Amino acid sequence: MDSKQAGHCPVTGHGQTPLADMTLSNPKIGAQPNAYYQAMRVEDPVHYDEKLGMWLVSRYDDIVTVLRDPLTYSDKHGYAAQYASGFFQEFKAILERDGGGFFPDAIKDDPPAHTRVRRLLDKAFTAHRVATLEPGITAIITRLIEQLADKAANGQVVDGVNDFAIPLTISVICEQLGISQFNSGKIQRWSSAVTAQIGRMQNREQMLDNAAQICDLQNFIIAEMKARETEPREDMISDLVHATLDDGSKLTFAEAVSLIRALIIAGNDTTATAIGNLLFVLATRPEVATALQASVDDERLMNRFVEELLRIEPPVRGLAKMTTREIELGGRLLPKDAHLLVLYASGNDDETQFTCPRNFDLNRSNIGKHVAFGVGVHRCVGASLSRMEIKVAAREVVRRLADIKLAVPVEQIRYQPTVAVRSIERLPLTFTRR
Amino acid sequence: MRGIRVVLIQNDGVARTIDNAAIGVSLMEVGRAEGVDGILGDCGGGCSCATCHVYVDAEWQQRVGPPDDVEIATLDMVSHLQQSNSRLCCQIVLTPELDGLKVTVAPAE
Repeated sequence: MDSKQAGHCPVTGHGQTPLADMTLSNPKIGAQPNAYYQAMRVEDPVHYDEKLGMWLVSRYDDIVTVLRDPLTYSDKHGYAAQYASGFFQEFKAILERDGGGFFPDAIKDDPPAHTRVRRLLDKAFTAHRVATLEPGITAIITRLIEQLADKAANGQVVDGVNDFAIPLTISVICEQLGISQFNSGKIQRWSSAVTAQIGRMQNREQMLDNAAQICDLQNFIIAEMKARETEPREDMISDLVHATLDDGSKLTFAEAVSLIRALIIAGNDTTATAIGNLLFVLATRPEVATALQASVDDERLMNRFVEELLRIEPPVRGLAKMTTREIELGGRLLPKDAHLLVLYASGNDDETQFTCPRNFDLNRSNIGKHVAFGVGVHRCVGASLSRMEIKVAAREVVRRLADIKLAVPVEQIRYQPTVAVRSIERLPLTFTRR
Repeated sequence: MRGIRVVLIQNDGVARTIDNAAIGVSLMEVGRAEGVDGILGDCGGGCSCATCHVYVDAEWQQRVGPPDDVEIATLDMVSHLQQSNSRLCCQIVLTPELDGLKVTVAPAE
């Protein structure tokens, strides 16, 4: 469990396949991408993935360079080129017709426009505010775990993703936003539909289904906003509807819809992925389960456990940027309008930054150096909330459950077909009550 | 209201003196607005990213005070850079008593 085994690291493994024949759009590589990442870091750190039509940025230092220079590497243009890729005009027309409008994501704008909105959200999930939410989050999580434990005690297989991780994060964010009546399955479908727009793997039929889901989501959001226009409540949707920004302006209607949409989706999807990963790791890596067991009463070690989980298996693995001018990156001269995919997961796996990167090591001195939450102006605004949910989930799972095991062979675990996240689709588990 | 003077020493050795720092805002906001090298404040003052890490000068430590539990947890994420006088300067709110405050910006990762 320590990183003092230099030279004896478990190797992420070069594949036998030449780099040119690999692509992240191949679902098999997408599911087990570390060999591809490592080959890129060693052979071609800013690598053109032909099938994807994107430059993959694989080394830690280059990733940080990109994220620290948001005017050269535009989030807005990178995102726009990724969004509903191949079907954008048709997608947009559907949302305008049936979904109240097409509302570009205000959080994916570039500075200075982005800064105005970002300052507002910065205040929503400070580490101090999130600390006050711990009892409520613990109550949600223990209730869910007890339900699962009952189910497992009856000999049923439990799905760690769909029965636990997803309803957990949906309950937490809905409570924050003030959505008291919600259908977890519906929000899950909305989330998949939104995240598929940056996944690069949907066909037209799927796009039509997803667009219909997003229309439904937006109509729901607009109704929630309208209900608070004249009668504000003590919740985050009310705060956004009535917010005054630092420059004295109000959010436009389109900005408010886009922000609430982003909070619902980003507030559940990626953290659910992390909690799915937590259960997968506990079921498949006994040394990690032992480390967690030994850490459960130590707040510092629990925080470190969460960071290391996020480093070793970051939910968001690749987000898009676009160059706004010709620029050299990692020894490669990129033209203006080069479409990049920043591989956060490869940065976290970079052996020049993290000794034995595949080792789960709570004692790393640079444990917070990972880029799972991003870096710079677009750094995850919900990082503290996400950490808290993962920490409480880890603590309560290990306190209440034992013998967590996969109920299927590990080869049968499937990942969502998308370049943006690495997310387990279903996680059949068995366990006992401790 | 008249502001106060704060001094932030950058990693290149340059002392950045800010003469009219507003009372009631955080040292991070002042440093970031003035473009002090190494004061990034990615999370906007939420005490969650440790990109505004400074070392408080010995003579100011008592007046600035120690970090609370939440800040200690975030400082632990950069334990390779942490010292006994480490603070995240988004958590140092400027008051008249801090007129003359001097800190050194922690090195980048």
